[in-house]
Amino acid sequence: MASSQHVLLSPAELAYLHASLSLTPPIRPDGRSLTQFRPLVAETGILPGTNGSARICFADGTEAIVGVKAEVERTRTGHDSPSLDDEGAEDDDDLDNQQDVVKGDNDWVEMTVEIPGYRDDDAGTVFLSAMLSEALLADGEFTKRLWINRRFHWKLYLDILLISPPLSYPLPLLSLTTHLALLATRLPRLKSEGDEDPLFDDDWAAAPYLYARPVQKGSKKTASAPTARPPVTLLVMAVGNNIIFDPSKEELAVADVALAVSVGEHTGFASSKSTEMDIDTEEIKGYHNLRLLSVRTIDPPSRLTPPGIPNASNSAYGANAGAKDTEKKKQQQEQARTAESEAVEGVWKSPRGGAKTLVMAALVQKVLEKGGVADEVLDALDGVDLN
Amino acid sequence: MPLDTSAYSLALLRVDGRRWNELRRIHAQIRTQAAADGSSYLEMGHTKVMCVVNGPSEPGPRRGATSGGGGGGGGQSKNAEVAVNIVIAGFSSVDRKRRGRGDKHILELQSTISQALAASLHTHLFPHSTINISLHVLSQDGSLLAALINAATLACVDAGIPMTDYVAACTAGSTSTYAANDEGADPLLDMNHQEEQELPGLTVATLGDSDRVAVLVCESRVQVSRLEGMLAVGVDGCKQVREILDRVVRDKGIKMIQEGTVERGVGLNDMELD
Repeated sequence: MASSQHVLLSPAELAYLHASLSLTPPIRPDGRSLTQFRPLVAETGILPGTNGSARICFADGTEAIVGVKAEVERTRTGHDSPSLDDEGAEDDDDLDNQQDVVKGDNDWVEMTVEIPGYRDDDAGTVFLSAMLSEALLADGEFTKRLWINRRFHWKLYLDILLISPPLSYPLPLLSLTTHLALLATRLPRLKSEGDEDPLFDDDWAAAPYLYARPVQKGSKKTASAPTARPPVTLLVMAVGNNIIFDPSKEELAVADVALAVSVGEHTGFASSKSTEMDIDTEEIKGYHNLRLLSVRTIDPPSRLTPPGIPNASNSAYGANAGAKDTEKKKQQQEQARTAESEAVEGVWKSPRGGAKTLVMAALVQKVLEKGGVADEVLDALDGVDLN
Repeated sequence: MPLDTSAYSLALLRVDGRRWNELRRIHAQIRTQAAADGSSYLEMGHTKVMCVVNGPSEPGPRRGATSGGGGGGGGQSKNAEVAVNIVIAGFSSVDRKRRGRGDKHILELQSTISQALAASLHTHLFPHSTINISLHVLSQDGSLLAALINAATLACVDAGIPMTDYVAACTAGSTSTYAANDEGADPLLDMNHQEEQELPGLTVATLGDSDRVAVLVCESRVQVSRLEGMLAVGVDGCKQVREILDRVVRDKGIKMIQEGTVERGVGLNDMELD
């Protein structure tokens, strides 16, 4: 499912929308402020048959359900390590380095996205699930939570269903729902020890959360008690120099740039040894320690919109009237060509070229700033009752 | 999974404690989703399905690629096409099992529902158009086809598509699997997943209050002598289901009038609004 939904707006409407969004302060069609999100309804624990589930309804009527299911799976041993099943003699020195074998594998998480009316191997659907799983797996910390012992691990299946027809680009909706479902996910408590075959507690009430909850609910978390949480992917777009969060379908149709920014929370114990990843960390007490996990540009549907024709080159307004001789005609065609390539005030032209570096930097800065949008979103999600 | 159904003859109680003629709890809601033309949510026991209806509308460019079983003709015919799309969520069953879109079982469900609804909906009023019904299975515990049909009916009512009557469905089974025990066999109403695994059963859907059967699907081997009893119990169950669905629609209608969402129509003044 492509980001380019068929938007039924004329070039004149697009030009108007673009102009009002590039004002300072901009005027959005629904009267929201730049960083304001649309209201949403969220609930968790809706499906008792899953390890964790969540449902979110946006105000525009789009709705998604995510279910998380976990299975115990035998860990495949690599060719470099000895087979763990039939070892006996080297037990002793294995016990020493038991602490640092906690490691994960990206194969332990399987994510599927279902969008009604689209095939599951549709390029857009695959891209969506790639973006969502990329954010989740980016820091390598998530899969470590699925480790049971050296022979077994949890295999986590995330099934993401979009219930409603895709009215706007569903990435933020799916990301927030996945976030809540993962927060609500619980795995049975392990009773066995060491590398035994895993044995679990029958009591579901004793099952710990995949993401451990803070002891005091409702109290503002401080940096002294960091709690990790799954990443959130936000859709951000820029029009002119304005940065707009949570764009609606119409707003996205005039975007100069659209970005999917994944933000995670930095935890105290997370080792930032991995240097391949580019991690920006901001440590401010009282706020979430945000870090950037991934940024993806999304091809905005504005690129496919039809351009408007300026009066200068519109024959209906007498642009070519009286152009009898070929000399004059040629000249006017030349003019028309320059008019096509140059922006004319008030005439819609689909954006060309990439994003400006400064705008990109400002975009990322705006997401990560303390008390900014990501903070606000995470705080709001904290308010959802996990049962 | 072997199930000891022999215990039934001792107390005449089924594995979940029901008598032979009892339905499971049915809970339904309509207009659950603002963006769609019609929507519903239905629970039959632990089977939970959601339905979203869009249309009747002009068929889009993607027509035919994913729609299963276009009952009632294509986009160019005089009747509207009923395109049904079923998504069975990976987390819906106890063991996660993912089914692709080309799965034969799903295709059969889609065409069954499509044909049943195309016969009940007044598709001739909407030529050259498509009614898109997408069904999501969130949790499975037997009687899946029946739940899907009921949810689709409710969503079509919500979408305001003219139809003859409710298509109400339910399942029926028989307690004994072997022929020798013929006289001791009881028909069972509304089978759950365990019973479906073990016992012969059928899904039946009827049109409204009448005894007219709209859908009859039997996927297991069963003695001919039992079929009549099962069918009678099933049709009786469908009538109960119809009453429940009707109650859901009426309650929602009353609520919408009270909230002022819709105008009180002519002739509604004498309807008691409790």
